[in-house]
Amino acid sequence: MQGKMGISEILEYLRADDRFRRNIVHWTTIPPRLAQTVPFPEELDQRICQALAKRGIDSLYTHQARSFQLVREGKNIVAVTPTASGKSMCYHLPVLQKLTEDQEARALYLFPTKALAQDQKSELHDWINEMGLAIKSETYDGDTPSAIRQMIRKAGNIVITNPDMLHSAILPHHTKWVSFFEHLKYVVIDELHTYRGVFGSHVANVLRRLQRICRFYGSDPQFICTSATIANPRELAEQLTEKPMQLVNNNGAPAGKKHFIFYNPPVVNQQLNIRRSATLEARDLTAQFLQNGIQTILFARSRVRVEILLTYLQELIKRKLGPKTIQGYRGGYLPSQRRQIERGLRQGEIIGVVSTNALELGVDIGQLQACIITGYPGSVASTWQQAGRAGRRQGESAVIMVGSSSPLDQYIIQHPEYFFERSPETARINPDNLIILVDHIKCAAYELPFRQGERFGRAEIVEILEFLTEEQILHFAKGKWFWMNESFPAHNVSLRSAAQENVVIIDITEQGNERVIGEMDRFSSLTLLHEEAIYLHQGTQYQVERLDYAEKKAYVREVQVDYYTDANLAVQLKVLEEEQGRTNGQVEIAYGEVSVHAMATMFKKIKFETHENIGSGPIHLPEEELHTNAAWVSFPETLLQTMGQTEVERGLIGVAHVLQHVAPLFVMCDPMDLHVIAQRKAIHSGQPTVFLYDRYPGGIGLSEEVYKEMGTILQQAEHLIQSCGCESGCPSCIGAAEEGGKELAQSLLRVAQGGTLYVS
Amino acid sequence: MSLKGKLNRLKGHMQLEEKQQPALSLPEAHEAKEIPHMDKWNKLQAKPQFWADEFVMVREVRYPLAYQHGRYRFEQLHEILAAWQSCGLDHPLSAAGLNAEQLLFFDTETTGLQGGVGNTIFLLGYSRFDGDSVVMRQHFLAEANAEIALYQSFLQAVDSATHLVTFNGKSFDWPQVRTRHTLVRHEVPQLPQFGHFDLLHGARRLWKHELASCRLSLIEQAKLGVKRQEDVPGYMAPILYFDYLQDANPDTITGVLQHNEWDVLSLITLYIHLSGLLLEQQAASAEERFEIARWFETLGADQPATILYEQIANSRHSLRKEACIALGHLYKKQKNYSQALAVWEGLLQEGGYLSADFFIELAKIYEHQQKDAEKALYYAKHAQRLLQQKGSLLRQKAKQDLRACEQRIDRLQRKLTRL
Repeated sequence: MQGKMGISEILEYLRADDRFRRNIVHWTTIPPRLAQTVPFPEELDQRICQALAKRGIDSLYTHQARSFQLVREGKNIVAVTPTASGKSMCYHLPVLQKLTEDQEARALYLFPTKALAQDQKSELHDWINEMGLAIKSETYDGDTPSAIRQMIRKAGNIVITNPDMLHSAILPHHTKWVSFFEHLKYVVIDELHTYRGVFGSHVANVLRRLQRICRFYGSDPQFICTSATIANPRELAEQLTEKPMQLVNNNGAPAGKKHFIFYNPPVVNQQLNIRRSATLEARDLTAQFLQNGIQTILFARSRVRVEILLTYLQELIKRKLGPKTIQGYRGGYLPSQRRQIERGLRQGEIIGVVSTNALELGVDIGQLQACIITGYPGSVASTWQQAGRAGRRQGESAVIMVGSSSPLDQYIIQHPEYFFERSPETARINPDNLIILVDHIKCAAYELPFRQGERFGRAEIVEILEFLTEEQILHFAKGKWFWMNESFPAHNVSLRSAAQENVVIIDITEQGNERVIGEMDRFSSLTLLHEEAIYLHQGTQYQVERLDYAEKKAYVREVQVDYYTDANLAVQLKVLEEEQGRTNGQVEIAYGEVSVHAMATMFKKIKFETHENIGSGPIHLPEEELHTNAAWVSFPETLLQTMGQTEVERGLIGVAHVLQHVAPLFVMCDPMDLHVIAQRKAIHSGQPTVFLYDRYPGGIGLSEEVYKEMGTILQQAEHLIQSCGCESGCPSCIGAAEEGGKELAQSLLRVAQGGTLYVS
Repeated sequence: MSLKGKLNRLKGHMQLEEKQQPALSLPEAHEAKEIPHMDKWNKLQAKPQFWADEFVMVREVRYPLAYQHGRYRFEQLHEILAAWQSCGLDHPLSAAGLNAEQLLFFDTETTGLQGGVGNTIFLLGYSRFDGDSVVMRQHFLAEANAEIALYQSFLQAVDSATHLVTFNGKSFDWPQVRTRHTLVRHEVPQLPQFGHFDLLHGARRLWKHELASCRLSLIEQAKLGVKRQEDVPGYMAPILYFDYLQDANPDTITGVLQHNEWDVLSLITLYIHLSGLLLEQQAASAEERFEIARWFETLGADQPATILYEQIANSRHSLRKEACIALGHLYKKQKNYSQALAVWEGLLQEGGYLSADFFIELAKIYEHQQKDAEKALYYAKHAQRLLQQKGSLLRQKAKQDLRACEQRIDRLQRKLTRL
């Protein structure tokens, strides 16, 4: 190679080069977009205008102007904007404007993580200084020194924090924040789209509590939300805040031309349909850009992958650029280290960064030119978020998504139209999940007694209050429910964990320096933290020495072994009540409440390279019970005769494997949140059945959505098996190679869609 | 399916504490006149006080001034106040200028141990001097909904007090009063701006090495000569109160009332005792004198600190060495360098372990005051050896110390070669 290539030359090279060309399965070019601007609103304070002008800004993007106008009219808004479109101005401008008029006014900024809050604080400080306004803004989180805390509570105009702090540190101590709540005018919720699933359902309840406290102090704040692109931003904002929302989606920020390339690694074993590792392909692609000095971000699926890729790439370009110019970025790095990397990227000293989805969120790293995504990130919305990291206001940029062998990746890679034509996923929450709701009713009762007839957002709560009274947690007297318990309920409720009672993982390698290295929900701990299990944490192997199941503690010690462990989980699922159902030809599709009993029975030790089984052992742990919701497909019992018992069983297992990957696509959830099991003879009906159930007690609405979308899901599952290049099954479709396995699974899927068993 | 059915099914996933006992049903509401078990309340010397349609139970017990609680008679407080007045010492426990009736010996009972809005105060108790007696009064939240009545009656009753005397009241009881008061702030008078003597701080200073913990009950036994009989431990109070709310029977809560009564009476005894030790009205042990000296030293009251340290330095007590070191610092601070050197070098001749810091201090005086670089270097090198031996070089602080010491040695060596 002579001299350095620019981005268009590299793209040309990829298009022409034999090694890469054949693997490019799709190439879309997104045309550039011009800026759409309007003059500053007339009422915008002169000091704000001047500060903007000093930075060379003499007009607003259309979405910024619209946000400003709507907020000034007293509306609650949700602004949907892509990365790097000046989104924070959508809330800064109306908030700062208000503060120029009313020095007593207060605003609460909520960010999903501490890092984002820190980021915004420095940006906001810069603006405030340039505007010469006497506005106090400060972050309030676990790191805030206690001396400053008091100042913030008494006089902070803009308090920047996260939902967890609001939940456990601010609301339960609201009497220390009297003037804050009395004068609270705005609540800003940034990165709204991250508040979905269990976390979002919790946060919706925290916001109910917040509004309840505001009412007590006589305030009624407006909500200003911003979100990445999802299908239902307005609905989500309305569900979270229970306020009518105005949608702002007239993005006026300019963007350069962008290439979006789907790249499928070559098949290296035709028979088993095994492809070359996505990690290695992504590494080679990234190297093409880095060697030419093009600022590139490489997304990897796990922390371990980040470290591996980082080592590869640093080695590769060490001589050309020096290793420091490529950095890793993931959870577990110290905040100061992260800040340094972010700065390095913005200033161009760092040209490459390898990251987990930690950089999906709005941390400011400037705009890069190329983005390589290793494996489908799991949702359309996430993919666009990651892709948004590349793209400058002028000039070209490129995004390359490299598929892995998983069924999901293969489906996406081979169906680009699914990705490009489909609107991004719907974000779903269920604030009225009973477990979550009860937790927050307790917290709310701690904060203020409930009055008779009072509601909690849209939830009906009398029965819950009576239930908690019977449990002697609340006390009813003269028309009010009082908190009457010694505990501090917010400390027992974590907004982020799937189940409340997590198992804490304690590293006891160094005597006298035992430390907690992580936690895990109880259900998963059955198979991952049983005694003798090998637990992987940040690339280090630990062996579980003791699992104290009663105390929820797993004691682990660092080891170096050449095997991993794999536990068998015997799952029993029982239908408690069918709430909805419909028939489709011979099959029934239903939705209802189920109980799942899971028991870990034994584990195997499996050697890394060869996958040999080199030992096994029993697991002695109690059965876990989970009450939740499920959607299921019941096949006619006669199938057992016509198809054969073992054939039905094998077919069901294949179907379950495909559904486990396809269903999350349609309900926008982590595959971990939705489980699939197959039963040859379901307990409630004796029929062959496939169940898809919510992993969270009480359900968060995923299986209900599966029930509604079942037609599409089954169709797509069938399509995936059909279009898989393997002969008789592979990890990318039904799980394993098995004589006739594909045909069995496909037959069942046809029946499930109302078709017949046999095709000619 | 009914919601309650679901709730019961999902119960295992919720964090519910074990039920204490089956709930008893209470009559929905009762007439103001029909307070249950009024006969028992009468026996406890408690009367209802009404506010709107709520009521609070106020219990009042009077003690003569000559009543002896532990080592002291209540009336001895007057001598202590007079002593503070005449000693002229500036001390956080000084009540100079105050009379006994201004002091409110105050303690609360709450439904939880952690601060936070939901931690309800159900008992506001205090003792105070009132003419020729000491009155012990308790405002008890007999019904959960009567907090307005509770704070009304309490705030009216303590109108003329100006100072609180508490045990850990600065960080727990009073902030909690402020928290609960905020919830009813529009319906009740403002909280007064009380002065505050928190005796926990003093007790910790004097006895934290000596006593296993600085709980009031332990101090009573070890220091105040107070013996409680069949005392209900403080941590039981919330549970007993929850029980009381179920059965409304004063018998359930009597033990808690008694416990609180002892607490607020012992606060008088403790204040007399602590003040007596500080004012040298009471014979203090060497350990106590040493801690009192340190307290004065941190307050910047060098003169009483010096006197107390000198007493210990001149004794054969095991704290002699610490006292000498401290004394040297005080002399140095007063620029009395020769006396500081005399005390410290006296220690050197006695042998025994002395810390690196000690030698650094010596080096400083020789370098900057005596202008004797050679001697300073000698001591600095000694300190360096000690620091190197310490073995805790990984710690940031130890590293810094060693670096600073080495810089000092360098500088001293340069000074010496220049000469």
